[in-house]
Amino acid sequence: MRYEFRISGVVPDTLAANFPELDRIPVREQTLLLGIVADEAHLYGLLTRFQSLGLRVLEMRQVPA
Amino acid sequence: MLTARFTAPAVPKTLVHRPELLRRLTAGVRGPLTLINGPAGSGKTVLTAHWAAAGGCAPRAPLWLTVEPDDAPGVFWAYVLEALHRGGVELPAAVGRPTRAEGVTQSFLVRLAAGLADSAQPVVLVLDQFDTAQPPAMTEGLDFVLRHAAGGLRIVLTSRTDSLLPLHRYRAAGEIAEIRHADLRFTHADAEALLGEHRLDISQAGIRLLMRRTEGWAAGVRLCALAMQRSPDPEAFVRQFAADRTTIADYLLKEVLDAQPPDTQDLLLRVSVTDRVHPDLADALTGRDDAARTLAGLARDNAFLEQVDASAWYRLHPLFAEVLRAHLRQRHPGLEQQLHGRAARWLAGTGRLTEAVVQGAAAGDWPFAAGQLVDDLAIGRLFTGLEAEQLNRAFAPLPAEAPGAAPALVGAAARLVVQDLPGYEDAARRADSRLSPGSGAAARLSRAFLGVLAGRTTGDLAATERAAADAERVLGELPPPRVAAHPELRALLLAALGAVRLGAGRPDAAESALAAAVEACGGPGTEPGTEPGTEPGTDRRAGAGTDTGTQYPLCDALGSLALAELMRGRLRRAAEHARASLAVAEQAALPPERRSGAGHLVLAGVAVEHDDLPAARSHLDLATAIAAAGPRPDAVAAVLAAVIGARIAAYEGDGGAALAVLTRLRPAATATPASAWAVDELAVAESAAHLARGDAAAALRVLDAAPCGRPEHALARARALLAAGRTGPAARELAGLPADDGLAAPARLAACLLRGRLAAAQGDTEEARRRQAEAVDLARPEGLRLPFAEGGARVRRTLREAPRPAARQGRPADGPPPAVAPPVVAPPVVESLSARETEVLRQAARMLSTEEIAAELYVSANTVKTHLKSIYRKLGVTRRSDAVHRAQALGLL
Repeated sequence: MRYEFRISGVVPDTLAANFPELDRIPVREQTLLLGIVADEAHLYGLLTRFQSLGLRVLEMRQVPA
Repeated sequence: MLTARFTAPAVPKTLVHRPELLRRLTAGVRGPLTLINGPAGSGKTVLTAHWAAAGGCAPRAPLWLTVEPDDAPGVFWAYVLEALHRGGVELPAAVGRPTRAEGVTQSFLVRLAAGLADSAQPVVLVLDQFDTAQPPAMTEGLDFVLRHAAGGLRIVLTSRTDSLLPLHRYRAAGEIAEIRHADLRFTHADAEALLGEHRLDISQAGIRLLMRRTEGWAAGVRLCALAMQRSPDPEAFVRQFAADRTTIADYLLKEVLDAQPPDTQDLLLRVSVTDRVHPDLADALTGRDDAARTLAGLARDNAFLEQVDASAWYRLHPLFAEVLRAHLRQRHPGLEQQLHGRAARWLAGTGRLTEAVVQGAAAGDWPFAAGQLVDDLAIGRLFTGLEAEQLNRAFAPLPAEAPGAAPALVGAAARLVVQDLPGYEDAARRADSRLSPGSGAAARLSRAFLGVLAGRTTGDLAATERAAADAERVLGELPPPRVAAHPELRALLLAALGAVRLGAGRPDAAESALAAAVEACGGPGTEPGTEPGTEPGTDRRAGAGTDTGTQYPLCDALGSLALAELMRGRLRRAAEHARASLAVAEQAALPPERRSGAGHLVLAGVAVEHDDLPAARSHLDLATAIAAAGPRPDAVAAVLAAVIGARIAAYEGDGGAALAVLTRLRPAATATPASAWAVDELAVAESAAHLARGDAAAALRVLDAAPCGRPEHALARARALLAAGRTGPAARELAGLPADDGLAAPARLAACLLRGRLAAAQGDTEEARRRQAEAVDLARPEGLRLPFAEGGARVRRTLREAPRPAARQGRPADGPPPAVAPPVVAPPVVESLSARETEVLRQAARMLSTEEIAAELYVSANTVKTHLKSIYRKLGVTRRSDAVHRAQALGLL
């Protein structure tokens, strides 16, 4: 499953290093994080990690692989 | 360290007063549930701590528990009990306390709820950071206790995510107060007040910018205030911050971090590897000696960390801990592991074993982490106690090639915990190749300990005895206080040794080991709360502090003791031990997968001997359920379960079902080499099943295929021979039995009854009567009943199959029983119809066909046929109409 997470603000390198499995695309005042999500456990794990680093998820969707 | 979990964090000096929210909290705890939800840094904990410090909900101050993400349910409930105890809440001792991390029993929750419902004043408990990462079972348990405590418990939950509690139900009932993110957001006035506290004078436009950028996020505003304090031009800082588009937390944290002196920055980055930090630990991590001052200063500013009330410990704000760790990784690649290693050594040096092991494992320093467990004689902690799960999880990534004996030993133990025998043997071989006679006593003891525990899966008595002897020898070399610090080690070892001896069919030898195991646990009478002279409330509390890890081996050893007594035919003592084992399991709230099924199994066996088949069935079902939930049961338990099941079925007249029970066991029993005892016990049960089907020849064949010197074997042969009408060989078999003193009570009784039947078959009425009277006396001490009922059927069949004169002469056997006869002796030669059979017969009496009976009783036609066959046999008829007539004549319908 390929997912796209739209995060509020610019995610700096330091924090992005916590998500080596995701590609980072800066857009205007936001950041897109894209990558393969193995399963649901991985998905919820990612959401928890976003939250614990203070990253706000604006949008999340599955995208064609 | 533990205390930190039970105290609200100190309220920061620079505090925004939010009377409206405090009021809502106070109003909320008049109901059962108050939720405070918001993202990290939104001020949930600060608000709740402020409320608690301000008296909360007089008269009784709220109790506090900080929940951690990896608290397993058992640990969570142990901490809840500890929090209640520390808050002076008196709960009845019968509530018990959890001793296993995996979970607690429903009955524990029922007792807890009842205890809370009975408390004089409602208890208000704050569960800080109760997040959805918690297992659902824990939330369900909390919901249960909350709903059944009859208003005796009020919960305040703070969490980042909505709880898994069925909130809609609480909302519908108006039993919930919610303070959510929108309520927690700082208002313009709040922000202004906070900036004022920091002695910052910012223009209204500046505050508006700040509010727009942070959206009232408390941590954001607070961090910004700190950054502005250190900035030469606060107004400019706000403008710059507002213009930047980096994620707020990281931006502000970096700003604040960069504004700190280099030493402080370094300290903050380094202490992020542990969630809680002591000044000495911080010094160990930085290699300097300024931590006490620096930490106090940071806590005063409420930057990143807060002091844990009344202790030298500090707690990093979870959000900052994560971000700091990210920065640590970026700025100092590879340092994180080193720091974990240093933290592990400091924690070990201050006696915090579990935390040291966890940190050592995080450092990947396996020789150190494993060495701690081994050298401390704490390897048993992987098998029992509240921390077993945490420790096993820490060692999950342990690689096979980690150098040294200790990692191999711990690896072997971890495999044994999950009953992976090949994995265990690999690791044990590695350990052996790294151990030498010159190795430390602790390592040699650990190796022997694992050897004994493995015996339980291999069933290899000789190897187990060798390992046990090694272990005892090494234990003698060690200073007693070191050994005494870990009573669970000896308890687990002796309980396993006893179980292996039992599996090898040596109940006497097993008993001595098991009795020693019970003693090593402190004895069954010494659990907290039941000890005479214990001041109420001093020792019955839960909590890691009092967790000795001996409850699991105690339950296990008592269960095995009960099995040993049952095997020796001492029913009363067997039942006592079985009940003691069940009581320990209940008191310790052991989850089913950690209980010994032996307790219920033994009670089933005893109930069979007492001819109480419904009780036997229900205990057997419970034992089967426990065996299905947990690890593979010992061979003895598996064999006994099958034998008891077969006996019940055979006695109910269903020989086919009895055989099926025994056949099902076979593949499992052959997995490990079965002991002579197990082989014979199964053969005897199978012969009884054949007899129940009226096939004496098959019964004899089974016994003769597996010759054995046990008296039970000879008795079974005699029974089968009698059933076949071969009185001569039966007499020889009975004559070959040991003297009565050498027989267990049930065997002695069976022998006596068989001699009586033999006499009856041979026409010696006087002798038959005398034997019967003797049998009644023999039966009384242990309350044995089944052999009478069972013997009755046999006698009956013998009479039917034997030549007529013998049959007629045999009749006196069912003459009036001696005066003190137990009730079942009354109809000694009639095997009663089971309830189901009576039902079938009643339908047959209505002239219904087999198919119609089947439809009437909701069973298959085949089942009806089986019942009919059994009815014919019991009534000694061959046709349906005869059966009905016979039953009516006997008054059975």
